[in-house]
Amino acid sequence: MTPSDPDSMNAIISKVLRYGVVLSSAVIALGVVLLVAHDGFSQVAAFLSYNPSQIPHGSFPVSFDGLAASLAKGSPIAVIELGVLVLLATPVSRVLFSIFLFAAEHNRTYVYITLTVFILLLFSMLVTPYIPIFGG
Amino acid sequence: MLIVELLIIMFLVSIAAGLVGSLVGLGGGVVVIPILTIGLGVDIHYAIGASIVSVIATSSGAAATYVRDKMTNLRVGMFLELGTTSGAIVGALIAAYANSVILELVFGVILLASLLPLIRQIGEDVPENPELSGLSKKLKLTGSYVETDGSTVDYNATRPVEGLAGMVVAGLISGLLGIGSGTFKVLSMDLAMKLPMKVSTTTSNFMIGVTAAASAGIYFVRGDVNPVIVAPVALGILIGAFVGARLLTRARNPTVRKLFAIVLALAGAEMVLRALGI
Repeated sequence: MTPSDPDSMNAIISKVLRYGVVLSSAVIALGVVLLVAHDGFSQVAAFLSYNPSQIPHGSFPVSFDGLAASLAKGSPIAVIELGVLVLLATPVSRVLFSIFLFAAEHNRTYVYITLTVFILLLFSMLVTPYIPIFGG
Repeated sequence: MLIVELLIIMFLVSIAAGLVGSLVGLGGGVVVIPILTIGLGVDIHYAIGASIVSVIATSSGAAATYVRDKMTNLRVGMFLELGTTSGAIVGALIAAYANSVILELVFGVILLASLLPLIRQIGEDVPENPELSGLSKKLKLTGSYVETDGSTVDYNATRPVEGLAGMVVAGLISGLLGIGSGTFKVLSMDLAMKLPMKVSTTTSNFMIGVTAAASAGIYFVRGDVNPVIVAPVALGILIGAFVGARLLTRARNPTVRKLFAIVLALAGAEMVLRALGI
């Protein structure tokens, strides 16, 4: 099968989606096990507080640096967040793969269309944090 | 309440939500948000954050199968994602300025509207095949799929610009409320583009993950994706939807469907009334 074969295009996209969901579920499940082991018998109140007047609204890390630091300390919350990020990356990688697959088909119109969707996704994830109005 | 208790309760209700959602033909998100807010008293912003992440999981899981079976039209999906992702980014932006009361009100109304197609089944049969022309021709918005009886159905899409406009609205609703808004995507493809129902539903499912990812990133950075809530909810809905899809292929019971539709209608009405302070 070559990439220009539409059969393999469907098969590759299908695999990207499936592996992404399985991997992220496994990481999230691992985080839950660690959370129960560490804090299972703590009160929930501290974990559910929602503060609309500050960014971030919760009491868990949302920046890459903060997340990496928490992960290094083995925080169960950070492990769950890592799993969530893998899940977020799944549709993004599906779009990225599609760009290459359309390029292999020499389908220029769809390369541009898919590239635009990819840029919109990157914009929402990487650029909006630096645009104050998106924080509310 | 202890963490372990909260995790178990949320996990169980999310399995139920995923199951009911797939039996009724809605996403798990639209079912779990009222349970989390009305039932467990979770702030609606956290409920939306957990839901939008779950939506990515269920849609990607189901899409993997449909794409492999070539029901999904990848070109139609990619083209319409231009609209859904733009709409989703704007929806997530608006959500930052909407307080809980307004969100509950809009959510209740959208939940009630999503149930309308259940009461009057929309275009179950294959529409007549329009000729391929204009932009649809340029974008090759055409395809074919194999029916359950082995026959091949060819189809062409019409009015792509109207379809794209409908997707901006569907994306906006998805980004604002943290739901897949599959009903609105299917309606656009059915009414504007005249695509066969099977292509509309599977292509809608295919787009939902990318649409949800566009707003989920914004919710994540804002701190609305609470790990303690999202973990049991996403895993639970994923399991429930998976089991529901298996049950659905074996038995399709209209009575059960109607029963759940009534329960969801009550939940929608409850949210509207609560928001209006009645």
